[in-house]
Amino acid sequence: MKRLVIGLGNPFRGDDAAGLEVAGRVRSSPAIQNMTGSYELIDLWSGSDEVIIVDATHSNSPAGTIHRFDPRRRPLPAGTFASTHAIGVAETIELARRLDRLPDQLSVYGIEAGSFARGTDISPAVAHAIELVAEEIDDA
Amino acid sequence: MGSEREIAVDYLARVEGEGAMYLRLRGDEVLDLKFKIFEPPRFFEAFLRGRKFWEVPDITARICGICPIAYQTSSCNAMEHAAGVDLDGQLRALRRLIYCGEWIESHGLHIFFLHAPDFLGYQSAIDMAGDHLEQVQTGLRLKKMGNTLMTLLGGREIHPVNIRVGGFYRVPTKAALQDLVPELEWALGAAIDTTRWVAGLDFPEFERDYEFVALRHPDEYAIASGRIASNRGLDIAVEEWPEHFEESHVEWSNALHARLKTGGSYHVGPMARYSLNSEQLTPAARRAAADAGLGAQCTNPFQSIIVRAVELVFACEETLRLIGQYEPPPAPYVEVAPEGNTGHGASEAPRGILYHRYSVDDDGLITDAQIVPPTSQNQLSIEEDLRSYVVGRAHLPDDDLQWQLEQAIRNYDPCISCATHFLDLTVDRE
Repeated sequence: MKRLVIGLGNPFRGDDAAGLEVAGRVRSSPAIQNMTGSYELIDLWSGSDEVIIVDATHSNSPAGTIHRFDPRRRPLPAGTFASTHAIGVAETIELARRLDRLPDQLSVYGIEAGSFARGTDISPAVAHAIELVAEEIDDA
Repeated sequence: MGSEREIAVDYLARVEGEGAMYLRLRGDEVLDLKFKIFEPPRFFEAFLRGRKFWEVPDITARICGICPIAYQTSSCNAMEHAAGVDLDGQLRALRRLIYCGEWIESHGLHIFFLHAPDFLGYQSAIDMAGDHLEQVQTGLRLKKMGNTLMTLLGGREIHPVNIRVGGFYRVPTKAALQDLVPELEWALGAAIDTTRWVAGLDFPEFERDYEFVALRHPDEYAIASGRIASNRGLDIAVEEWPEHFEESHVEWSNALHARLKTGGSYHVGPMARYSLNSEQLTPAARRAAADAGLGAQCTNPFQSIIVRAVELVFACEETLRLIGQYEPPPAPYVEVAPEGNTGHGASEAPRGILYHRYSVDDDGLITDAQIVPPTSQNQLSIEEDLRSYVVGRAHLPDDDLQWQLEQAIRNYDPCISCATHFLDLTVDRE
């Protein structure tokens, strides 16, 4: 079983870095940090049986809330994962579904961001959630 | 007098960056039309001041995730011009080669994912994939081909790190380039098929008498170097840009509007390049253009998708040629000393001419910078297209008119992120 962790985000936009930070902490499997979360994800995960994606979310939940999604069962909720690029992670997953290029197992962690302000500060609640998600992935 | 109506798109889809469109109509009469770039200003020209000249390709690459090679090439060209250095031989060929990778990646993205859904009536490439799976797969594979080439030569596909003033930090082996040949041969065939496919799309009857401006080179279809030429007789060296073009600010856009000092708008990009230089295309690209029914010039902006496909054929064929003649150069770069001088550089980004100018002091620090991206040069032309397109079509329902006008904007593959120093659509009908 080949497992891959993909952390998404922008390291210079506050809590948006959450996915990157988780990927940097995971020890139990290869982890990639990716800053666009667009079409290239499909190539990145090809060859892996189990893929775990971690990204920051904005869904009006309290900062640091951990959301867990199984996109093989249903599409990611619209508007929760945002991208300023051509398409984002939710759209990329739907494109891969049409192309029959989803990995056999795919799970998505969303860590609710408190702030997307410019800079490298991560809010305490999000920093705590980063540790929890990294541990959960390593313990699974 | 008919009643006024307003069509507003507050956030344009399938463009790079954030922009909007506003249109106010009374019957057939356009009362107000604005193509708005509201993405925040980027301030690159300001924060380049005080930086070392050799930092410029790495800093300006950050302006765009789609066309970083354009920024790196134009900035290196400017520094090399300031130093009186012209790249030649294999270093020049490698610069053209990585640029072909960017054209393949960018044109592949625009044709299949951003523009084709407009013609086929889908909101997105994801919706399109249901009925046109093969095309979407081809688009992804072509994009990947371009990325692979950029990664091999540039170190990574987004914001490459291996480009330096005077050449490269490290050059590829002949074997590494040869490994790409089988996939490139597939890409060439796929690009030819793509040209045939897009030539069969339905195009609105719409022609405009553009002043096309593009680089022109005596020996090749210009990409990374050349003189600035137009279909109306302009033929100047790159350093004469400031004498012939000017930029101005309009209150509705965060991107400067560029215009010709002698008269108004001009058009840069694939249609301009094709119309000026089509005789220099590679044989398969010339055949693909002829088979697609393109004449010596293309003046229907909706057909820009065909021209992009022809350029995709060209870029694949040219890449194969450059790899076939490659021998590693004796050194990966040449020394460049621009201290105390001003340099001008230009190259053909996928969307059109990208002009850079830098002044460097005696310590090698940048004292002044000017960057003029293709989308800011095309803004006036885009607004004029929209204004002309509405004439005779104002009777269309708002939804149809909005769809077609958004498509007219995407004809230009506008890169709003690059242009801000911009897309939502609003139509007001009185």
